[in-house]
Amino acid sequence: MSTKQTIAIIGATGNMGSALAKTLSKGNNRLLLFANNQEKVKALVDDIKSTNKKADVEGIECPTNASWEADIIVMAVPFAVEKEIATRIKEVANQKVVISIANPLNENYDGLVTPPDTSAAEELQKLLPNSKVVKAFNTVFATVFTTPVIDDKQVDVLIAGNDGNAMVTVSELVQTAGFNPVVTGELLVSRTLENMALLLIQLTVKNNWNWQAGFKVLHN
Amino acid sequence: MFDLFFRKFNEKVSLSAEEETFVKQYLTPKKLRKKQYFLQEGDTGKGICFVEKGALRAYVLDEAGAEHITAFAFEGYTIGDLYSFLHSEPATLNIDALEDCELMIISKQSHDELLQKMPKYETYIRLLITDAYIALQRRTTTMISLPLEERYVAFTQMFPTMFQRVPQHMIASYMGLSAETLSRVRSRLSKGK
Repeated sequence: MSTKQTIAIIGATGNMGSALAKTLSKGNNRLLLFANNQEKVKALVDDIKSTNKKADVEGIECPTNASWEADIIVMAVPFAVEKEIATRIKEVANQKVVISIANPLNENYDGLVTPPDTSAAEELQKLLPNSKVVKAFNTVFATVFTTPVIDDKQVDVLIAGNDGNAMVTVSELVQTAGFNPVVTGELLVSRTLENMALLLIQLTVKNNWNWQAGFKVLHN
Repeated sequence: MFDLFFRKFNEKVSLSAEEETFVKQYLTPKKLRKKQYFLQEGDTGKGICFVEKGALRAYVLDEAGAEHITAFAFEGYTIGDLYSFLHSEPATLNIDALEDCELMIISKQSHDELLQKMPKYETYIRLLITDAYIALQRRTTTMISLPLEERYVAFTQMFPTMFQRVPQHMIASYMGLSAETLSRVRSRLSKGK
């Protein structure tokens, strides 16, 4: 028996936050869910427990305490809010794995608000200099989490980060969620990953794929 | 949050403000609630933890599933599975929280980097392990050389905090006694007064 890891999901009631909470609750994890709307958090906790009685999950009223208790922090808030949250968790997130799932999309979903020489993940790393920021889950839609298989192929989750141990930890979470982890490179690669998400969104809208689309790296 | 850690560090090796900031970036603050585990037998890569607030115990399970407590840790103590930590091998100990805790964890990665980059950290760790070795020696000597009553008195003097904050059956386990034996020793001592 190994010790459960505690995962704080900040912004747990959004589409991505709740999809991650539901899927990660199936692993050997203890989840602490934070969102501004406590009633929505409670509903999500009840929902998870109704399908999985053994799930170790609870709502928590403060993002700082959630991150302090956590081993891993998932930033599931919109890019615009990350700075405010980062200020509140900076000290307690020291040395911890922080997963950046945000895509810094503009209002029209046809471009990114970040300049080409940076990314949402790199900006988060600047705000949390002593944390191990990893880009992951930004190229998958929340709608795919229930069955991460499309056209008979297991959907890839592309990961980027600078710390080897953190990449292993996140790869394991990706597997728990039923996706195939693909380690791409240093955090710098997150620029490409965020642009890939933008492309996928544009293609999905254009072709009416009903949010059932994802990436699969084909190789020999 | 980091206060006690640096107070204790400075008691052994004095650090400038810049040096404290340098060390700080390697520490992992972690809250643990009562009864939660810091590590369990079989875990690897768990680090060692400094107690800012709260209390923990380390124990092993025998083949019959009985717990044998090997250590307690309170504010200002450091606890971990040292063999597992230094050799990156699976832990043989279990360490859980007896009270809600605030910990400062040093991972193996942080430990190795600090050893390499900061001679003062190496001194700190050397003194920490020296102190732990002396405490272990005193405990072993007490365990094997003193009759029960004297052993009990020696332990109350060595670890006064333990007797205030830890249930009797755990103290008995730590002293290698059954709870009943400890209870008899205590009653004999109180009658003797």
